Amino acid sequence: MAGIYVHVPFCKQKCSYCDFASFPREIGKAEAYFACLYKELKARSLSLKDKKFSTVYFGGGTPSFVEPKYIYGALKQIYTCFNVDKNAEITLEVNPGTIDENKLKVYKNAGVNRFSVGLQTANDKTLYSINRIHTVEDFKRAIELLKDYNVSVDVMIGLPDETVSDVKNTLDLATSYPQVKHVSVYALKAEEGTPMFTRYLNGELPDDDEVADIYDFVVDYLSKKGYNRYEVSNFAKEGYQSKHNKNYWARGEYIGVGVGASSFIEGRRFTNTESIDEYVHAILNGKVAEVFSENVCGDDAKAEYAMLALRTANGVDFNDYKNAFGSDFSADFKNSIKANGKYLDILDSCIKIKDKYLYVQNSILVDFISEKQ
Amino acid sequence: MAGKLKENIRNFCIIAHIDHGKSTLADRLIEMTGQVAERDMEQQILDSMELERERGITIKLTPVRMLYKAKDGKEYIFNLIDTPGHVDFTYEVSRSLKACEGAILIVDASQGIQAQTLANVYLALDSNLEIMPVINKIDLPSADPEAVGKEIEDVIGLDGSNAPRISAKTGINIGEVLERIVTEIPAPACNDDAPLKALIFDSYYDNFKGVILFVRIVDGEVKPGTKIKTFMSDKTFDVVEVGTFNPELRPKNSLTSGEVGYIAASIKSISDIEVGDTVFDVDNPTKEALPGYKKAQPVVFSGIYPLDGSKFNDLKEALLKLKLNDASLTFEPDHSTALGFGFRCGFLGLLHMEIIQERLEREFGLDIITTAPSVSYIVHKTDGEVLTVENPTKLPPVVEIEYTEEPIITASIYTPPDYVGAIMELCQEKRGEMKDMTYIDDKRVKLTYELPLNEIVFDFFDGLKSRTRGYASFDYEVSGYKRSDLVKLDMLLNGEICDALSIIVHKEKAYARGRAIAEKLKEAIPRQMFEIPVQAAVGGKVIARETVKALRKDVLAKCYGGDITRKKKLLEKQKEGKKKMRKLGSVEIPSEAFMSILKIDSSDK
Repeated sequence: MAGIYVHVPFCKQKCSYCDFASFPREIGKAEAYFACLYKELKARSLSLKDKKFSTVYFGGGTPSFVEPKYIYGALKQIYTCFNVDKNAEITLEVNPGTIDENKLKVYKNAGVNRFSVGLQTANDKTLYSINRIHTVEDFKRAIELLKDYNVSVDVMIGLPDETVSDVKNTLDLATSYPQVKHVSVYALKAEEGTPMFTRYLNGELPDDDEVADIYDFVVDYLSKKGYNRYEVSNFAKEGYQSKHNKNYWARGEYIGVGVGASSFIEGRRFTNTESIDEYVHAILNGKVAEVFSENVCGDDAKAEYAMLALRTANGVDFNDYKNAFGSDFSADFKNSIKANGKYLDILDSCIKIKDKYLYVQNSILVDFISEKQ
Repeated sequence: MAGKLKENIRNFCIIAHIDHGKSTLADRLIEMTGQVAERDMEQQILDSMELERERGITIKLTPVRMLYKAKDGKEYIFNLIDTPGHVDFTYEVSRSLKACEGAILIVDASQGIQAQTLANVYLALDSNLEIMPVINKIDLPSADPEAVGKEIEDVIGLDGSNAPRISAKTGINIGEVLERIVTEIPAPACNDDAPLKALIFDSYYDNFKGVILFVRIVDGEVKPGTKIKTFMSDKTFDVVEVGTFNPELRPKNSLTSGEVGYIAASIKSISDIEVGDTVFDVDNPTKEALPGYKKAQPVVFSGIYPLDGSKFNDLKEALLKLKLNDASLTFEPDHSTALGFGFRCGFLGLLHMEIIQERLEREFGLDIITTAPSVSYIVHKTDGEVLTVENPTKLPPVVEIEYTEEPIITASIYTPPDYVGAIMELCQEKRGEMKDMTYIDDKRVKLTYELPLNEIVFDFFDGLKSRTRGYASFDYEVSGYKRSDLVKLDMLLNGEICDALSIIVHKEKAYARGRAIAEKLKEAIPRQMFEIPVQAAVGGKVIARETVKALRKDVLAKCYGGDITRKKKLLEKQKEGKKKMRKLGSVEIPSEAFMSILKIDSSDK
């Protein structure tokens, strides 16, 4: 299976933690941008005629901020150029402050069947302070609109001055709607150059121990409500795991279009420029907009596989690994498995990081990566 | 014997406080005498090692010969002999001073005389040098040459009113300095007919010529073909080449009394000769050596290990190369359970130790781990055996020890009177015993203390600096051994003794030191997958405990979409960090941890 990622680099205003390619002041370039994006989709598709695609994901930025016709157009172009599974999972990221009934109708017609709604926190004061454009009321309105869809809610932990009880309120709200089948819980990371970084330097953010307490609470809370952790940051009810994201962790192929988008096709990883102007210029001239490219093969590929699969609750499936590389995982990573035996569940068919250690996995991953370099 | 003089030679050195412009003045003098072509003129030519230039301190002596045509119409040969400005190298300084008749004392026009300079001035006066004060940096807005001139008179008793007022940086009045060298610094005595007597004041190893001796010819003459010997060595060498420093080596037919130059005599190893020793002519031997020779003894010891165990041989090669030019560096193979194979090295002092470490890292590109410095103890065992122990892990078990002795230094501390109390308090903490206190004048006090050397290697300098705001200076020499109640303090990580962290301390200090080190280690050791107890123990008894808590969050938990490359890079970075760690049992220890135990503020005792 393979996926398609479409990046929408526009938003109403920049959240104070955001370091992704998103440009609130460049919405005027949307027309040109999407024209190029359609062109890129077509150009990329030429060599991928035989591939079957089973997921499409619109991320941003705020995909629900731009006129819905662009989403419609992109999906139409995708259906035209690519071989897309008719049961494909088609997700659109939504900001609660930018969705309405009319937009929803267009998305529905275009084939979107899953919505990922960014709530982040149910604390209005915090929402305001991190420069989110919506309120808790906006979220409630949006989620009501989406009651007939498959909905995922994004929650952030480690926000300024956040406590376990703030997060409990957030999860209480998010899980009170039956349409919410999936919750993603990301830990805030203050990136240099963002306004959040200043707040981090000022000591406004909870420290790692506090975030870990919150995380432990989240895992426990969500599992009691029937949302099981299937990856470090992702929780879903039975049958509602995100296919698109699972494809990343399975080292599956995907094509990313638009600025800043990453792709992984036929052993090659590449990433587009983050600049809209550069992107438009390259595409209009019939060129690719890549700024980074690497071929990942041999041991590097194995190391990547381990790094990605060990993020998931199911870990590495020995059969899948053997199908991918023709060798045995237990033999390839003998030393790392031995050195980290205490932290791993080693079963007949798979190997995974014990639940307790999933949130401290980096040093384990580092061993696995090192063994294959 | 006020005989003939070599009227056309002046041998001198420059004494200055750090930053008061020694190297800059030297550069100007060289420039003005036209010895070095403008295009070859690199800033501060004397400080030839990269490290020296960076630290602004002089370690290695590099003499320069200059030709100066004075106002009297005659041409003079100036030999400028540079001196290291640090207490570790006091002996080297005293040897260089012996090669001179005079010294230029540079005093900063805005800061006045610094205490540290005084120590060297006294050293120069002891060597009967003529001191010629110069007031530098008069171009600074805060310059007050009048007051500084008076201070020179008050503090040292030299006439400061007459001192040239210069700016080495902008070149003001440098000509005056050159003239004064001619008129104020005495010419050396001429004893060309006496048997050869030459003082070795430095040396270095040259790949082609072998060891190059830096000498001051006191009596007689040396030329290619002369068979030479020194008093401390049995070997005889045939002189191949003699010459002067321009500053590169320039061969000459001979060197005669009063001259400063070099001798190359196919000497294979630097350990065949020693600084301070006297060279004589085998065919016409002098009866007695020049006074003042001392064998350079390492007083500070530490373990040096390659970060990457497989680099042991590279480290060995590097140490051998450094040893070629530094006879005072000693080393022997050593093994630690925590750090693997490495070397136990001996140094003249802490600065010497730091310099060697930095050169290993910089010039040889080695990643090294250094253990806490130690000193050499004498252990009297119950069975009558007497051991010298430089490595804490070699200390015999308590039951086998009758008693122990530790090295004692005599420290001279110069300070403004305001800080006497603070210094006395510090020395008290460091188990010091006051021997003497003299008021040099109403602005300077000299305190003489007996202190255990092992307290000095443990952050004494930092303590002195911070408590006297940098005003006090400190000089010491090892004066002997004293019976002392010493114990081995072990550090346990996750229940295992880490031998590289063991130190020998005075019994009464063990508890406080153990607690302080445990606290430091707790900070230095990153949190890991499990809780790590950090314990300090003496003779198996735990006296302090800290805990490095287990990691709670160490994950890439942000949404990076499909940007796997970014995730990989973040992990790569973490991997690089992990590589710099040493594994002891299951605990990973960063290399800084081994030194961090040194950096304990005296205030946390």
